[in-house]
Amino acid sequence: MSSGMIAVLMFSSMMLMLMTGQRVFGAIGVVAAVASLALWGTGGSDMPFSAAMKLMKWYPLLTLPMFIFMGYILSESKIADDLYKMFHVWMGSLHGGLAIGTIGLMVLVSAMNGLSVAGMAIGATIALPELLRRGYDKRMVTGVVQAGSSLGILVPPSVVLVLYAMIARQPVGQLWLAGVVPGLMMAAMFILYIAIRCYFQPHLGPVLPKEERDVPLREKLRLLRAGLLPILIFATMMVPFVNGWTSLVESSAIGALTAFAAAVLKKRMNRAVFEASVRQTLAISCMFMWIILAAMGFGAVFDGLGAVGAIEDLFTAQLHLGPWTILVIMQLSFLLMGTFLDDTAMLVIVAPLYVPLVGALGFDLVWYGVLYTITTQIAYMTPPFGYNLFLMRAMAPPEIGLRDIYASILPFVAVMILALVVVMVFPQIALWLPNVVYNK
Amino acid sequence: MPQFISRYVTIVDAINYRIGRIAMYGIFVLIGILLWSSISKTFFVPSLWTLEMAQFCMVAYYILGGPYCLQRGSDVRMDLFYSSWTDRQRAWVDAFTIFFLIFYLGVLLYGAVDSTVYALEFNERSYSAWRPYMWPIKILICIGFSLMLLQAISEFIKDIARIKGITL
Repeated sequence: MSSGMIAVLMFSSMMLMLMTGQRVFGAIGVVAAVASLALWGTGGSDMPFSAAMKLMKWYPLLTLPMFIFMGYILSESKIADDLYKMFHVWMGSLHGGLAIGTIGLMVLVSAMNGLSVAGMAIGATIALPELLRRGYDKRMVTGVVQAGSSLGILVPPSVVLVLYAMIARQPVGQLWLAGVVPGLMMAAMFILYIAIRCYFQPHLGPVLPKEERDVPLREKLRLLRAGLLPILIFATMMVPFVNGWTSLVESSAIGALTAFAAAVLKKRMNRAVFEASVRQTLAISCMFMWIILAAMGFGAVFDGLGAVGAIEDLFTAQLHLGPWTILVIMQLSFLLMGTFLDDTAMLVIVAPLYVPLVGALGFDLVWYGVLYTITTQIAYMTPPFGYNLFLMRAMAPPEIGLRDIYASILPFVAVMILALVVVMVFPQIALWLPNVVYNK
Repeated sequence: MPQFISRYVTIVDAINYRIGRIAMYGIFVLIGILLWSSISKTFFVPSLWTLEMAQFCMVAYYILGGPYCLQRGSDVRMDLFYSSWTDRQRAWVDAFTIFFLIFYLGVLLYGAVDSTVYALEFNERSYSAWRPYMWPIKILICIGFSLMLLQAISEFIKDIARIKGITL
């Protein structure tokens, strides 16, 4: 059997295993274990375990539990409530202003944690009920919260980029910096969309009533202090890191401690919050780690097969496709898969197949990391699977039905695809900042 | 269901619950080590041991926490079809597919034991300035994988119980 055939067989059996609904790490791991035993006999029996050693030695992975912990402290202790009030008072006089403010809120929350869960929790439990009460269109605001919270994985710190960095063997620092400008650009595009839409259809985002807008300037300025918290947390992490005093991993621990201290100082840390955030951190960290463990075993078998070379050969030598055509085809198939698979499954498919292929075609893997993350963001929101979609279903107020949730994402997915195309056509958007900082 | 089987589930679940609850607080140990690392680096002489110690801690954290998460059902599944099945149907499918999981864990454990024996025999050390022995962490991994195996078997028994409609 040729290596290409074995690769196809491995992939299809993995998909089949995933469909049975068995735990993802088991479904991937068993295919890796069986394949390595079948291919290399007893010599292959150590392969799944060697992944554990490789995983241990990969230093940046230590940031994973730190950022998960930060995210859960933020969402469980609700220390970000004041932030919403700040945007509420300052943006209320605009048509659609509260929705625009919510995007701003999401950008700040994204700068404090690496997943979309925290943004989702804050958006769905604080912003969403307020916006609905003010007569905002429910489909509009549901979309705003889902799209906004997905910025959590693009704006640094980002857990998704940490995982990508491990697979692509790229420096995490550069990847994070590469996510900054595209993240802000995407936020700006969301805001632009909301502003234009509300300009033509003012009933979607009514202005706050006069009496609510009449907040004394002193009070308005006092509320600005809420904005200090994210800046403080971000700064305690980034200043030592950028100055080279601490490594990325050490900075993430400082960030986790700052978030914890902020919750204690604001008197929001109690037994229930503590228990929930510590337990959830273990649950999410274990889920990720075991899946990566299995996926790396899978990837090692794939490397051993040399299957990537065979696939590259098929595209370039036999089908005579240029690198850009291949990239576009890959991205389209990836988008399509994203709508059916969840992000962890996508990571596993991308790991052995796409990343080496992109590298072999001569593209920049830091840039591709941004494309990968944006595609993951879209996958987070598109039915039938999507983290944010599930979270939204669980957290949304009862008047928001499943149909609303599905319908709400359409315009935002369109904006995200536009952002994806823009970053693809102009790689400098992603690569400018890391190049400046690292003097490449 | 025979008495000893339900006792097995009770005992394994209790052990893994306790170990998982302890591992859960490992996050603070990890934060502590990394903070000491940044403090010592900034103000004193950088510590040699912090990097690898943090890595060992991380391994202990997720490998010993794994069985507790399995018990709590926090591992993700692809629920394209799974979500639309009844509880009984899920139990039926799981009762078969869990053997794939058990097989994978078995291969992991086999590799881990192999590597631990090697580490003990040749006094394997890490290639770094600190040069820690590798056998303690490898033994810990073996224990973790064994506990995971025991927990997977316990989950299988629970699936069977769900099919038969018995509460353990």
